[in-house]
Amino acid sequence: MATIGAEEDIRVVRSAPDLHLARLKSFFVSAVLICIMPAVLLAFWWAASTKGWVSAQVLPQPDWVLQTFLDLCANGDILAAAAVSFRRIAEGFLIGASLGFLFGLLIGKSKTADSYLGPTFRALAAVPSLGWLPILILLLGIEESLKIVILAKACFVPMAIIAAEGARNVPKGLTEVADVLRLRASTRFFKLTIPAMAPFIASGVRLSLSQAFVSLIVVEMLAGTDGLGYMMVWGRTLFQLDIVIVGMTVVGVVGFALDFVLKRAELLIRRGSGANG
Amino acid sequence: MRRLLSTLLLAATVALGAAAAKAEDAPANIRFGDVGFGFGTPFGVGLQAIADAKGFIAGEFKGTPTKVEFTYFTGTGPAINEALSNGQLDFASYGAVPNIIGKANGLDTVIVASYGGTTIFGAARPDLEIKSIADLKGKKVAIQKATIIHWGLVTALKNAGLSEKDITIVDLKNADQLAAIAAKSVDAVFGADFLLPLEDKGVAKIFYKSSDAGASGDGFGAFLVTDKFRKAYPEATQKVVTGFVKAAQWLADDKNRDEAFKIWSRAGSPIEVISKSNAGSLLGQKYNPHLDDFFTSRYQSGIAFDREQKLIRRDVDLDAWVDRSYVDNAVKSLNLQALWPDRSATGALQN
Repeated sequence: MATIGAEEDIRVVRSAPDLHLARLKSFFVSAVLICIMPAVLLAFWWAASTKGWVSAQVLPQPDWVLQTFLDLCANGDILAAAAVSFRRIAEGFLIGASLGFLFGLLIGKSKTADSYLGPTFRALAAVPSLGWLPILILLLGIEESLKIVILAKACFVPMAIIAAEGARNVPKGLTEVADVLRLRASTRFFKLTIPAMAPFIASGVRLSLSQAFVSLIVVEMLAGTDGLGYMMVWGRTLFQLDIVIVGMTVVGVVGFALDFVLKRAELLIRRGSGANG
Repeated sequence: MRRLLSTLLLAATVALGAAAAKAEDAPANIRFGDVGFGFGTPFGVGLQAIADAKGFIAGEFKGTPTKVEFTYFTGTGPAINEALSNGQLDFASYGAVPNIIGKANGLDTVIVASYGGTTIFGAARPDLEIKSIADLKGKKVAIQKATIIHWGLVTALKNAGLSEKDITIVDLKNADQLAAIAAKSVDAVFGADFLLPLEDKGVAKIFYKSSDAGASGDGFGAFLVTDKFRKAYPEATQKVVTGFVKAAQWLADDKNRDEAFKIWSRAGSPIEVISKSNAGSLLGQKYNPHLDDFFTSRYQSGIAFDREQKLIRRDVDLDAWVDRSYVDNAVKSLNLQALWPDRSATGALQN
């Protein structure tokens, strides 16, 4: 009896840190899971380049690539390139995502607007950014605006589609209540539409940012003279594929981190709106 | 049973040995790489394309099991460097700037012939007063960087007393260059004969042609073999270079001019454009395979350019890179000394 009591005691005391520990453990496990594949790839890469399975110029050894990465960090090249690229994403995203949100709201709310604009929008959205490039160069030249427009387009499309979806999915019951209460348009928008759409907006932000990231590299590779994409093209031209691999790694890691953070944020927003609803 | 096995083993060894000895004399196939243009099946616009189309190299291997295989890379120089590095090519012919970059990064290539010269054009917006290189001062010029065109522009600027700091260089691919000048977002472009149609369309006017500036203004490049192939098959290497020289000899005959233009037009440029691009130049002089002092001075200028532009991190030892014996043998055996007398470093004829 006394022993059981002691055991119960221990369990009670340990229950709070247990939760903490479990969370830490699951975090640790997922971190390990995430790292397995890159570690396997790295091992394979290392073996392939040191055993001479592939030519050292085309697939340089990992330590050379690390050295190149450190060199590029030290002389500021990579930071300058990344700064240019991220500024482009920010500008393109601000323009594209906000216009996309408004457009999505319009075709989501108004059946008329959807029947007039929806099909054209969907047809244009199906053409990848690459296809627009020659026409856009003719219209905008090769300046910064070209890149911003392509990035804005990349953000616009997913945001518009998801915002329209969200606008259509405002719970019917709540809309009816708002009708009965004769809420003012602005109150209705901020108190009903926006909270109901919040989870959709969150996934719209995530999707458009990841789209922007992919398009950015393409656009910088094709018609750029700076940024991370151009750095990779230039590395290939110089037959220094270590620079290309550094670029690929940076783009991959940043893309992953961006997606990870935004997924977390999306989850928090979904939980928050769930509690309100 | 054991005896049977050992006999079989012996037979297999002998057969394999024989096969190996045979492979030593004649490679099963020889793979050639060249810069290519055009949609669908790209094709080349230089000496190697002639050697391919007229079967000059294949002819050298007539009656042997050796096959020749030509690949034209639309990815140009960088793609050829990668293919050489991956062991996918035995011979390649491409521009000096990328093949110097390849050599400086450790490709085991050896120069066995010159591929001659390429004409470089400058086109400017018709609404601007750009009539010569000197007028480019303060203007925005589109080129594809790290190519022989880039070298051509910088050299032309130097000859006109300018430096590249006097202009703004925009790095664009060929197709984007055309769009950029049509959209007036650049003032001038430098490139190969793909710029010529712009003049007919009224989008730009041609104000510079490298061959007008003398032979030392033209672009240049070489025909290279991998050291591995050269060591394994010295005879085959000689045959290939002889075939290559025969192509240059065919090209030097004026009655073949039209046929040559027709062959090059397979790369996508209309015949009129090619004949306009070559107007006033003798193909025999332009596509001179000789590795003489003129060639050496061109390549030295190319190496200096690559260093200056920080395109290479290490120097290239030109003397160790060039092997004149094959082309000299071919010229001697075909009795072509009179066709291509040695040129001095400046391009003047010697002896």
